[in-house]
Amino acid sequence: MIEKEPKLDAELIELSKKDPESFGLLMERYQGPLFHYIRRMTQLPKDDVEDLLQDVFIKIYQKLNEYNEELKFSSWAYRIAHNHIIDYFRKANARPQSNSLEDYEWEKIISASIHIEKDIINKDCVEKLKTCMQQLPIKYREVLILRFVEEMEYEEIMDILKKPKGSVATLIARGKEMLIRNMREQNINCF
Amino acid sequence: MKDLIKDTIGKIKNQHIKPDPKWKYLIRKYGIWVVFGIIILLGAMSFSVTYFVLASLDWDLYRFMHQNAFSYSLSIFPYFWAIVIAIFLGIAFFDIRRTETGYRFSRLKIAILTIGSIIVLGFAMSFVGLGERLNLKMTRNFPVYSQHMMVTKESQWMQPNRGFLSGTVVAVSNEEIKVDDLNKKSWSVQINEQTFIRPMADIAPGKMIKIIGTVGIGDNFSASEIRPWAGGRMGEGGQSCGGTSNTCSMMLKKIK
Repeated sequence: MIEKEPKLDAELIELSKKDPESFGLLMERYQGPLFHYIRRMTQLPKDDVEDLLQDVFIKIYQKLNEYNEELKFSSWAYRIAHNHIIDYFRKANARPQSNSLEDYEWEKIISASIHIEKDIINKDCVEKLKTCMQQLPIKYREVLILRFVEEMEYEEIMDILKKPKGSVATLIARGKEMLIRNMREQNINCF
Repeated sequence: MKDLIKDTIGKIKNQHIKPDPKWKYLIRKYGIWVVFGIIILLGAMSFSVTYFVLASLDWDLYRFMHQNAFSYSLSIFPYFWAIVIAIFLGIAFFDIRRTETGYRFSRLKIAILTIGSIIVLGFAMSFVGLGERLNLKMTRNFPVYSQHMMVTKESQWMQPNRGFLSGTVVAVSNEEIKVDDLNKKSWSVQINEQTFIRPMADIAPGKMIKIIGTVGIGDNFSASEIRPWAGGRMGEGGQSCGGTSNTCSMMLKKIK
């Protein structure tokens, strides 16, 4: 039996424009990554994240004709999610909730920021560092999440945030600096 | 997790949600580039006027005003147009950043693209005389432009009390040139053997000239140098009537 080759994103987009059912295949492909991205960014409960994700998918569907093949579909979808999250915070006048990143996700950020071996990080330290991380402005938290938790390349982050590479690099560097400064100010020295 | 895919597709179908039409997106996409093109065009027009003004001003008059070259250059620099160009550059920069992939261009690349386009197009416009025509239109239609916003060739050469006069030659005699200045006021310009006359200066009725000298009583003006109206320092290289007798007689002959 010949196994069907999975369709490319661009092909699925074309099919989705004619038939919403085909859009389901695209959703299937990206619902996991986008769900985690929205959760990490908003730190909302699961049901709220799902509601936001549904809004994001509907926006993606409405904007299918705007998709530019110069970009990776994933970057474009993340961009729409990013804009939706920013809108959500603006409208709800809300700030991200705390403590909803998983410990392994915190560890990724921490080890990337302070160049330590993963196995040195202990649970207690992670708890303390969460506080410092939560104090970072959302623009720095976001790039740190995209870079070190989502493990994206600079080019992808550029495409998501619509910022030049230099600005992305600056945001990451400043985010890391601020995190370290927060740690020093709070006398966190557990390594 | 609830069946998000099923729910979302259901919502799309029930609410008859459709992808936004492509034309809307294309209008937005190309609209930004059209705006960019218009801004570059306006910037280039401003550049061509700036170039015309810079080329037509006489940058060596500081010698007659007891100033140094630098401070004099600062005093006549066309700031108005420089500001206009800077504004257009700023708008073009933000416009290009609003294009779909504009964020990928570095500031340097955008600067090279916008400044380069404005300069190249501006020179092309200058070449066909657009800068001069625009400057003339501005001078005629907006008196405030030449009176307060800019040092133009006209304003530079309509300061008889400071020793700079210009106008159209009405009549020429051995020792005097009758000139109607740019405000149609008549002047009797005295010349003598010490008067330095630039070779390109055509001192004949109907021709425009620029005169450096000293204002006298009434409508008298004693000329120490006469330049052609056209160009800035292009007429340099003239000779004084105080030189050899041959040169002087040639000059005077030319006047006669």
